[in-house]
Amino acid sequence: MDIIAGFSHGLLVALQPENLLYCFIGVTLGTFIGVLPGIGSMAAIAMILPLTFYLEPTSALVMIAGVYYGAEYGGSIASILMNIPGTPSSSITCIDGYPMARQGRAGVALFASAIASFGGGMIGMVVMAVLAPVLAQLALNFGPTEYFAVILLGLVAASAVSNGSPVKGVAMVVAGLMLGTIGVDITTGAERFTMGIPELRDGVSLVIVAMGLFGVGELIVSIKANASGAHQNQIDYRQFYPTRAEWKAMFAPILRGGGIGSFFGALPGTGQTVASAVAYAVEKKISPARARFGQGAVEGVAVPEAANNSATQTAFIPTLTLGVPGSASMALVIGALMIHGIVPGPRLLVDHSDLFWGLVASFLIGNILLLILNIPLIGLWVRLLQIPYKYMYPTIIVLICVGVYSINNNVFDVWLTLAFGWAGYLMRLFRFEPAPLLIGFVLGPMMEEQLRRAMLLSRGDPSVFLTRPISGVLIVLTVVLLVWSILSALRAKRRMRGAMRSAE
Amino acid sequence: MVFPISAPKGPAMPSVISFFQRLQKAEDTASPPHAWLGALGGVALLALSVVFIWGGIALGVGSPRRLGTGAFPVLTGLALALLSVAIIFMDLRDTSDAERPDWLAFAAIGAALMVFAASVERIGLVPGVFLTVIIASLPDPSLPWRGKLLLGGIVALGCWGLFIGALGLPFDAFKGI
Repeated sequence: MDIIAGFSHGLLVALQPENLLYCFIGVTLGTFIGVLPGIGSMAAIAMILPLTFYLEPTSALVMIAGVYYGAEYGGSIASILMNIPGTPSSSITCIDGYPMARQGRAGVALFASAIASFGGGMIGMVVMAVLAPVLAQLALNFGPTEYFAVILLGLVAASAVSNGSPVKGVAMVVAGLMLGTIGVDITTGAERFTMGIPELRDGVSLVIVAMGLFGVGELIVSIKANASGAHQNQIDYRQFYPTRAEWKAMFAPILRGGGIGSFFGALPGTGQTVASAVAYAVEKKISPARARFGQGAVEGVAVPEAANNSATQTAFIPTLTLGVPGSASMALVIGALMIHGIVPGPRLLVDHSDLFWGLVASFLIGNILLLILNIPLIGLWVRLLQIPYKYMYPTIIVLICVGVYSINNNVFDVWLTLAFGWAGYLMRLFRFEPAPLLIGFVLGPMMEEQLRRAMLLSRGDPSVFLTRPISGVLIVLTVVLLVWSILSALRAKRRMRGAMRSAE
Repeated sequence: MVFPISAPKGPAMPSVISFFQRLQKAEDTASPPHAWLGALGGVALLALSVVFIWGGIALGVGSPRRLGTGAFPVLTGLALALLSVAIIFMDLRDTSDAERPDWLAFAAIGAALMVFAASVERIGLVPGVFLTVIIASLPDPSLPWRGKLLLGGIVALGCWGLFIGALGLPFDAFKGI
């Protein structure tokens, strides 16, 4: 009953004209960015972050969330039409979406992906409304020791499970934690690593780190990728609406995909890409149409889209109830809330229930808006793909420059963004993922504060982290996860080497 | 419904751009970087961790009960030092092909940000944005000079209208040189 009361209250909040407007702006911008290959939702969220400083916290959160799941809708458009994933998590959609487009069924594929995204989003929303209050209730008894352990688990999960080397991922998280110490130490008031630069006294701005690593860094990568991208010359829509048989074929896969997606979305570290990959793999095993998978099965488009969209909604569960983001985008959500003085955690549901339920209800509204944007207005986005990238990226660079400069009207911020942009490109070159660094950067100050408090309470005895039951379990879980991910990475490498040897 | 998507065509190129194109081609055909170069990332991280350990000790680590200002930097620094040593060894043994860097885009995008930072408060937003667009579009040889100038002009005027006209941000459109 509580949930229904909360949700209907949230609906009132989300339907306020202001929130409705920002929800609309968010999902439109998200779709726009999602359609463009090469730049993901991270860059988009980083770009609107300065704007959210001036909004009400609820409007800000609704808009950021809109960009986040809007990008999932948009990402599938480029996947289906051009075989280039607009966002990393829609890469699975290419497998069946692009063959469908080649067979002249692009319209059906786009329709199926929009409907599946909507279905997945709704499943994710319900899971969030039911699960988040339970988790928050559980976390209310957490002290600093438990918090430190939860943050540690979240950081390790987010870095070790991500694609690429787990050791490099953890190294990036630690580097992010270190980056977070720059500025004035809130406990003692001493300056740390500011090198006497007054602009660094308040620490490095989250917007600059995100805009540099993701905006500028990704843009440098995308120039070459888009210049040589295989553009399809003609897209033919013989038919847009699925047949009755196709509707029926999609229904169960959407439910399964949404279920799998909401599970992986809520786990820290896995996120949409893992969710859609697992959902597709499961569906390929159990679907009656499995023989057609990879050759343009409508189920193969519906499943990953339902999964990645439900995962985008449930990713907010650990972020808002524990304050532990599972991905870099969620770290930005935490950063945006903290700028408004709201600390995500179990108290958030009680102290800011407007914000929480408003967000949940905005998922419903945003997904309906996206359905409108993606079904009747699909032609608009297809036309967007026709704009050559050579006009696009210089414009985006200017928007980044103006955005960063306008935070403080300070040129220093532009220089710092340049430094992070170059660093972001070099990190990709040396196969370091920038996402864990951002997560570490956001959680670093929180982690340090909890560590200091826990040590003070235990009178300097570090063994409390293991002897207190909840934190002990969490620490053991962290170690197990770390060992398991390193072992499985080693095994994958050995298998690859073996495959290469047998190929020679 | 049929939506035509035009593939980029290769127009005639002035000499500066064809120079860039030749540079790009040279880059594309260059031999892959040496394996030891791949370990530079780990070395950079090791250097960073040394800075933080050293700086943290200088700030004071305090006692276990009252962790000092430098305690967290030292702890994270130690962790990163261990990890980066492991990464250096991993990268030295990794013989797979490294990604081909696009130094041209790296330099041009960097230069574009520098130009914006250097110009916006000196000559104003409109000429600053114009120059930024020109520099940023240099690595794409498929856009002829006329197109670059035109794009620069359109984006500059657009920024004038949007940021100064509509949003009222405190920019000077033009400033005395």
